[in-house]
Order: sequence, then C-alpha cells, then structure tokens
Amino acid sequence: MGDNVIVLEGVSKVYSQGKIDVKAVNNLSLEIERGEFAVLCGPSGSGKTTVLNMIGGLDIPTSGRIILEWKELSTLSGTELAKIRRDRIGFVFQAYNLVPVLTAFENAEFVLALQNVPKDERREKVMAILEEVGLKGLEDRRPDELSGGQQQRVAIARAIVSEPAIILADEPTANVDSVTAESLITLMEELNKEKGITFLFSTHDQRVISRGRRIIRLRDGALDLE
Amino acid sequence: MLILMAWRNIWRNKRRSLITSFSVALGVFLAVTFTASGDYGYTNIINTSAAMGYGHVTIEPKGYNNAPSLDKVIPKADLIRSRVIDADGVVSASVKISGQAMFATASRSIGGAFLAVYPDQEGAAENIFIRSIIEGELFDGPDGIGVVIGQKMAEKLDLKIGKKLIYTMTDINGEIVGQIARVTGIYKTGVDDVDSSMVILPIDRVRKTLGYEEGDATMISIFSDDSRRSLSIRDSLRDSIDGSSLDILTWQETQADIAGMITVDRTMNYLSQLLFGVLIAAGILNTMLMSVLEQKREFGVMLAVGLPPWRLFLLVVVESLIIGVIGLILGIIITTPWYIYMSRTGIDLGGLMEEGTDVGGVLLDTVMKFRLYKESAIAILAGVFSLTILAGLYPAYKAGRIPPVESIKEI
Repeated sequence: MGDNVIVLEGVSKVYSQGKIDVKAVNNLSLEIERGEFAVLCGPSGSGKTTVLNMIGGLDIPTSGRIILEWKELSTLSGTELAKIRRDRIGFVFQAYNLVPVLTAFENAEFVLALQNVPKDERREKVMAILEEVGLKGLEDRRPDELSGGQQQRVAIARAIVSEPAIILADEPTANVDSVTAESLITLMEELNKEKGITFLFSTHDQRVISRGRRIIRLRDGALDLE
Repeated sequence: MLILMAWRNIWRNKRRSLITSFSVALGVFLAVTFTASGDYGYTNIINTSAAMGYGHVTIEPKGYNNAPSLDKVIPKADLIRSRVIDADGVVSASVKISGQAMFATASRSIGGAFLAVYPDQEGAAENIFIRSIIEGELFDGPDGIGVVIGQKMAEKLDLKIGKKLIYTMTDINGEIVGQIARVTGIYKTGVDDVDSSMVILPIDRVRKTLGYEEGDATMISIFSDDSRRSLSIRDSLRDSIDGSSLDILTWQETQADIAGMITVDRTMNYLSQLLFGVLIAAGILNTMLMSVLEQKREFGVMLAVGLPPWRLFLLVVVESLIIGVIGLILGIIITTPWYIYMSRTGIDLGGLMEEGTDVGGVLLDTVMKFRLYKESAIAILAGVFSLTILAGLYPAYKAGRIPPVESIKEI
C-alpha cells in the first residue's frame, strides 16, 4: 500500500431514483499518496462529488472498499466515522459552508474545539493559520461580513488547522471570481508544497485542473483517463 | 462553544425567539396566578376550618369522628394537652368539649351545637367564633355562666348581650340535663347555618353539667403555623402518645368534605396549568423545528467536519433551554409586581359572590389573594424547565439525524 492516504478498491455507488437504479460510481479503484495534489475531474454527473463524499465518510459505497490510512471506512461506526472526519479529513465545500453565527476565528477553531485542544493552543494555531491564509485582522468578522474568497479562505483554514491526512475540496473555486480562484489555488498549492498536505479536488474548473499534479478523469462513474 | 452557538442561534430570529420567550413568560405568569391563588385559598379554607373547632390535628376518643357522642371522653385531656403543646410544629393546643344541645329562651327554642372551651386557651387566630365577635366579648372563666352565640341565633331567640339562655344536653349517663347561661358575646362568621347553630360555652361548667371528671374532654385541637405539617405532627404524636383509646387525626380526616373539595379543585387547577403548559410547549416545539429546518445546512456541515450527532442534539436542547430561561426571567419580571400586589392587597370579589358563600360550613374569603409556597415555586420552575427541554427533544433528535451529505447539497 506504500504511503497511500486513500485506497479505493472496486468501489461502486448505486442510487435508487424511484424504480430506476442509477450507478453514480462504477467499480472504481484508486490510490492517493500522501502529499499529492490530485484533481478529480469530469463532466457533471461523472461521480466526482460522490467519490469525494465516500472518501470523506459522508456516504457509503454500495460495494467495494475505501481505506483511509489503513482503516476500512465501511467497518467503522457512525461515531468512529465522525472521529475520523474530525481528526483525519479536512473538507472544503463549494459554498464555503461556514457556520454563520461564528466569527472567522471561531469557524477556524471549530474542529480544534471538537478535539478538546486547550484554548491557548487553539488560539495560537488558529491565529497562525488565519495569517497563513491571508485573513489576519479579519478574525472577528462573521461570514456575512466577508467576501466569497475570504469565506473560502476561512473554510480552508478550518480544513487544515487540525493537520488532517487529506483535504477533500469539492469545487472550491466554483463560487468565486477568477482572480480569487487563482489566489485560492495558489494558497492550496503552497500549503501542499510547504506543509505536505494532501489535496484531492473535485472540479471541472480548468484553472484547478491545470494546476493539478495528478489528474484523474471520471466518466459515468468510472476511471476514464489518468 | 456549544452554549455560545446556541445563544447566537437564538438571536438569529429575534422576533420569533422573543415571541416564544414571552409565551413562556405568560406561562410563568399563569402558573403563578393559578398556583398562588390556590395556595392562598386552600390555606385560608384549611385554617378557617381548623379555627371552627378541630384544629389542624385533632385528638379524639376512639371512634368519635365517625360517631360523635358525649359519652366518648378523653380522660385527663388537660394533661395530654400539656404534653402536646411542646411538640415540634405545634403552636397552640386547646381542650374542648363539642356536642349537640337545645338552646331556649322563655318563649323560643332552637337546636344547635356547642363548643365548650377554656377562654385562656382560645385565641382569635385559632377560634373563628372569638375573632368574629361583633358585640360583647368572650366569657371570663371556664366555670362561669357566660355564653357566646351567633348573630342568627340571637335573632331567632331574640337574645341580646346580658340576656339569659337555657341549654339542655344529654349527659354521660344519658339523662337530659340543663344550665342557665347569660349571653356575653355575639359573633358573626357570615355563614348563616353556623351563626344560627353554634354556641361557645365555658368548659368547666359544661363538664359539671355533663357529669365529666375534671380534665375530661371530647377533643384536643392542635394548631400548627403551617397546615402542611399536619401529617408529620399527627405521626409524631401517634409515636409519643399512648393512643390505644384515642384517635389522632389530621384536618383531612376530620374535615374530609373540605379535603375532598380541595383535592378536586387542586387537580382541576393542575390540569388547567398542564393544558397551558402543553400549548406553550407546542410553541417552543414549533420554534425549535423551524430553527432546525433553517440550520439544516450548517448542521450538516458541522456533522461533516466531525461534530458527533449527540453534541448537535445537545446544541438544540441548549437552545430550547435558553429560550426557557429567558422566558422564565421575563416571566419573573412580569409576575413579581402582580404577585406583590396580589399578596398584599388582592382583589375583592365580593361583588361577584353571594354573601356568606361557604364550602362545608367554611366561609369563603371574598378577597382573592396570593401566597406561593416554596415547593410550588420550585414546581413551577421545574415545570418550565421540563417543558422547554421536552419541547426541544424532538427537534434535537431531528437535528442529530440530519444526513450531512444531503444537507450540504441544499443551497
């Protein structure tokens, strides 16, 4: 298995839509190594988000195995999965998905608080991360007081602050303008290079795809081209 | 962070949260109004009833309560009283003889009842007839010829202060015996049946008339500063007094009709409060369900980043609880001036009630006042907290079961 963070073995996902079964992912096998900056791409409905959700333990495969750092996700209970998501996976969503009642600082702090990290340590880490993602001075602002790009930076800060094994980023540039998108990609690229954080993107944004060091193309839920 | 989030979540929709909190406050207001008027009213009835002769706890000859008779006697009742008076919770005790008698003047006669008392053992607080004297006064000693009669009896027998009255009764041997008395006082309780039939007599004179030994009586009335202690006083007296020939009874046992009426009224009172509570809980439930629905997406995100479902459950319960606490504080603010006014001044309902309205011979107070016992206040607090938590449980359960992957997709 080498230094794989994620291994997918023959993973399929079938959704029932009324009487029709829709195969969102079809017998997909894939390995993501530690430190990769990989991009899952493909047309709409190709199964990118479903793959990301299954890797993140948010969705369960119909068949096949997903192994995250030697742990097969399908064998874990709901509580264990929540713990894995909290400690080993960082999420960056398309629509930022920040908690609106929390400030930028508190949003970034959220996962550390769940991990019961002492307050002083939390403060130190979060302030450092916010500075790193370019949000110094904006810690006390709530999401509705931040631009889309700034909100996504908070989401990135929240994802990386607990030093997870992998960041799963689902269309992270879809809701921002091109300049912001570029800066976000650059930021994640730097985090990958400097901190060795593994990134797996799901996108059809050419700017992201062009920056990816590994491109995994999906079509109809199966591996199309790599 | 959970409490901070819950607090901020509540103020995301200020108007809705405030309306819900005010409904809780209204619930507190109604609960205090219902409970405090009940606590005052019931206490008043119980104390008035006790002051009509029996006290909060009564020591009687065995079987006297079911079949009262003057040949059933407590021997050496004075001695027993001297032991009872020091018991925990007892503020006063008085020895009495009660029974039936005929009361007559030269031209008219009337059937009634009497209470023979020691004047020095009877205070206005423990004897409604004494505190209701409107003319004259209580007789001086226990062996005099004085008598206190009700206003209605005075009218019927055409009696005035200083006039003579003859009473006849059946003595311990079953013989008809009589005495001449002189009216020293006239009382008016407001209950016609009582005012036309009950006569207060000096106890030693009655003892001699009935052929009782010195110290004999038919009851010892025991008074507490709190009628709720009756049961504990009764139990402790049962332990300390040789009760083989005596019955020691609480007011609930000697005044079963009043106790039954209070139980029924109190139950109706609680049922009304429960209904209000359910309505208020439905309001909180609605608010919390709306809140959960509105926060579905962020709840999904929180679950996705590792928040265990039980903590999300807790978050919603805490939100519900905070609304309850705000409602409680508002309720206390709204209710306090009302409670102070009602406990000091009250509202005179005399215009709405017929004069002399009574329950089991006990005159109802026309002034509605408040008195809230500590345990009632605690029950209201516990009720509000329980209802707010209960109302939050279902929305909290729904929140904990939100599938993150679906809620994140919803924009």
